[in-house]
Amino acid sequence: MIGHSEKAAQFLKDENRADWHDQTLWMVRQKRDRAAWSVPEWEDLREEASQIKNHALSNLDNYLLQFEEKVIGNGATIHWASDAQEFNDLILRIIQKNGAKKIVKSKSMLTEECGLNPFLEKNGLEVVDTDLGERIIQFRNEPPSHIVLPAIHLKKEEIGELFEEKLKTAKGNSDPQYLTAAARSHLREKFLAADVAITGVNFAIADTGTVVVCTNEGNADMGVHAAKIQIHCMGIEKIIPGTNELAVFTRMLARSATGQPITTYTSHYREPKAGGQMHVVIVDNGRSKLLGNETYRNSLKCIRCGACMNTCPVYRRSGGHSYNYVIPGPIGSILGPDSDINKFKDLPFVSTLCGSCTNVCPVKINIHDLLYDWRQEISEKKLLPLSKRYLMKITGIVLAHNTVYNLSGKVARWAIRNLSGELIYHRINVWGRERELPEVPRESFKQWYRKNTLERRSVNEQG
Amino acid sequence: MSRDNILKTIRQNKPEFTPLPKYLEVTDPKPRRELLEIFEKSLNQVGAEFIELSLNEEIDSYLSFHFPEVHQIGKNGFRDEYSANCSKEKLDQIDTIILEGHLGVAENGAIWLDDSDFPNRLVPFVAQMVIISLDSAKILSNMTEAYHKLNMAGTGFGVFISGPSKTADIEQSLVYGAHGPKSLLVVIY
Amino acid sequence: MIKVGLFIPCYIDQFYPQVGIATLELLQKIGLNIVYPLKQTCCGQPLANSGAEREAIPICKNFVRNFSEFDYIVSPSGSCVYYIREHYNILDQTDQVKKVRQNTYELCEFIVDVLGMEDLKIEYPHKVGIHQSCHGLRGLKLGMPSELVAKQFSKVHQLLKKAKGIEIISLGRKDECCGFGGTFSVIEPEVSVKMGKERIRDHQINGAEIITATDMSCLMHLEGIIRRQNWDTKVVHIAEILNCNRL
Repeated sequence: MIGHSEKAAQFLKDENRADWHDQTLWMVRQKRDRAAWSVPEWEDLREEASQIKNHALSNLDNYLLQFEEKVIGNGATIHWASDAQEFNDLILRIIQKNGAKKIVKSKSMLTEECGLNPFLEKNGLEVVDTDLGERIIQFRNEPPSHIVLPAIHLKKEEIGELFEEKLKTAKGNSDPQYLTAAARSHLREKFLAADVAITGVNFAIADTGTVVVCTNEGNADMGVHAAKIQIHCMGIEKIIPGTNELAVFTRMLARSATGQPITTYTSHYREPKAGGQMHVVIVDNGRSKLLGNETYRNSLKCIRCGACMNTCPVYRRSGGHSYNYVIPGPIGSILGPDSDINKFKDLPFVSTLCGSCTNVCPVKINIHDLLYDWRQEISEKKLLPLSKRYLMKITGIVLAHNTVYNLSGKVARWAIRNLSGELIYHRINVWGRERELPEVPRESFKQWYRKNTLERRSVNEQG
Repeated sequence: MSRDNILKTIRQNKPEFTPLPKYLEVTDPKPRRELLEIFEKSLNQVGAEFIELSLNEEIDSYLSFHFPEVHQIGKNGFRDEYSANCSKEKLDQIDTIILEGHLGVAENGAIWLDDSDFPNRLVPFVAQMVIISLDSAKILSNMTEAYHKLNMAGTGFGVFISGPSKTADIEQSLVYGAHGPKSLLVVIY
Repeated sequence: MIKVGLFIPCYIDQFYPQVGIATLELLQKIGLNIVYPLKQTCCGQPLANSGAEREAIPICKNFVRNFSEFDYIVSPSGSCVYYIREHYNILDQTDQVKKVRQNTYELCEFIVDVLGMEDLKIEYPHKVGIHQSCHGLRGLKLGMPSELVAKQFSKVHQLLKKAKGIEIISLGRKDECCGFGGTFSVIEPEVSVKMGKERIRDHQINGAEIITATDMSCLMHLEGIIRRQNWDTKVVHIAEILNCNRL
């Protein structure tokens, strides 16, 4: 697998596009700022949201049981899945049992995480992602590059060409209005033909058994209300106690995500429609284990708003696909190593630890601290390359010993000053590829201090 | 069984119990006129159009005068025509519908509708244009107040609608009518 | 009289002695009894940020040994100070460790919060852009970061705006990271440099002749890019500006 830094370097080769990506997401960050400032009690809400999530996690088993009881009482069916495989099998069984063939799906990071689409397709089913951005990347057969703006890595011209091929739109027309209209009529057909609608879940209300789904397009509702069978898929961490808590989150989610005061549709599904079926699938897939990790359990508070991505200067300049993990950006760099530390060991290092992610997080996950903690763990588990570990050891010895440090400093400064540029700016000097090294002074501060303060003082004293 | 295993692991792993926070005081005693102004500002922001009727205008006569052809809940057999069993193809033909909103939220322009307002759940999403009438006395300040008013345990399906269906998935250009209504008109009386 | 220890981080010691000198002179002019312990090396952060917190422990202990006798420890590096305050929790919390963690201050913070001074009688007739180094801003709270919905302030601005003749320019993105990030600068060199270029560009298009910061590490990175590009923007550490005074 090609790591983040290489993919990022590739991403930056097209500088205009990289600048566009950065500026567009920065604009979303600014919208988020304006939306947050429109709520004077914003920081108090963040604190409330954080405490609600802490509370819900501390009582998770009881809330899940309460939720289950209510869901059953509401005439819906509840299912539990331990991992991705069980989840996929379970969905397939519901579909097959009903003789269904056509499935529409609104956005769900959980189904991405579990690889539901390829699994269902392998079993001969048609799954259509109905969120416009998701449909675009589904046509392109690639993963989302952002959890809220899945096609943010694409330019409208590319989408125009894609739709020309897939939806027979006019050649060369890349007007977003026109392309959206084409997708609208294409997807309307799919909605009306679908037997099953699958959605993700933003919030699950324990005391009423309601699942809440937020969209701007209305695609979750088009699917759910048109299809006979509705299936809502949720991670165990989506549970909140009741509507007091829901109020806090509906005030924050869209403001954090896109800077809207609320999503266009905030839909509350409790009972199946007349003559329909409603299924709720609760998925673990590593979450209950993560709950036992005192350090990283905080990441289970995440409500998938994407604010940490929009504000992250590294994400904006490397694109979501560089991260390789299903959830990119700062929060993904914590969740990735948790799902597979060997595969995603580079992600915690993909950050300057500037801390902006932590400040925008609506549930106050200390994202940059967790990235720092992951670095320690990866290093302790000896997952860093040997050369790097060796370098750390040496550096540790040099910096812990004053005399060794003084000598090494002298040697290094001498080397930079006297060796030829060719030697210094060798290609292994990563710093020097696009940056000059500092101009090296003849003496260090310590040498200067000795000479100018101590020696002068002793001269004075002797004199 | 997965269910029991998941619950067992959660029980073993969950952190020490922490209580829910003390919530901020939610009642916002803003005068009606001020709430209405904030609400209208929010509607504007979310891409909804609105008309505010003057005091002596009657909502029913306003709607039947201005939208004589448009289906309106509880009127002209609308409920029977678009019942829960209505075919999708027929619902797809709906051009414009008028619905009555339960309550509005000033801070975000959202209007609550639920099963009691439409005989078929697809109606507010499948229509090309939606008109919602709303009593200005039913505008609340924020989501907390709104949820206090609602009975979630008695709602099979309910939705907050804030503006027309929209997307910005192509280069962040805002387009109305991604799937559902291309426009939303709120008639405030 | 209070005893103040001067901590000059390793890379400033080796590459930017003038910043150490400016810090020392400034504090001496203010009239403080300031001592530079000769056996100091580094705070340990370079290793810890790379994941080698354990290897850094002897370095941290050396720091505590050198500085525990002082009432205050002052350093011209927000990042190192943040590391000492925040991450010396890996050491046994002896009285010395606690004392050192509590009493280590970044230079501007020390002047504003401990000494209660704002007007240092500086004269600095230049157009200056302030780069808000992340660890100082978000870690030490030297200012209110733009993400938070709270009254905006900046201790660095407070000090600089008193300077005679200075023009502090405003930026398009007032507190975005410069892309240095310690080892990040060599693990992700392309992104790091891209971020640096754009920070510099923001200062340039808004008319800055000089970019200043509380952290020389950010400035080292920016200066490296500026020199490679042959741009004429200068970088000057905040201590060097504050030392241009008439005290």
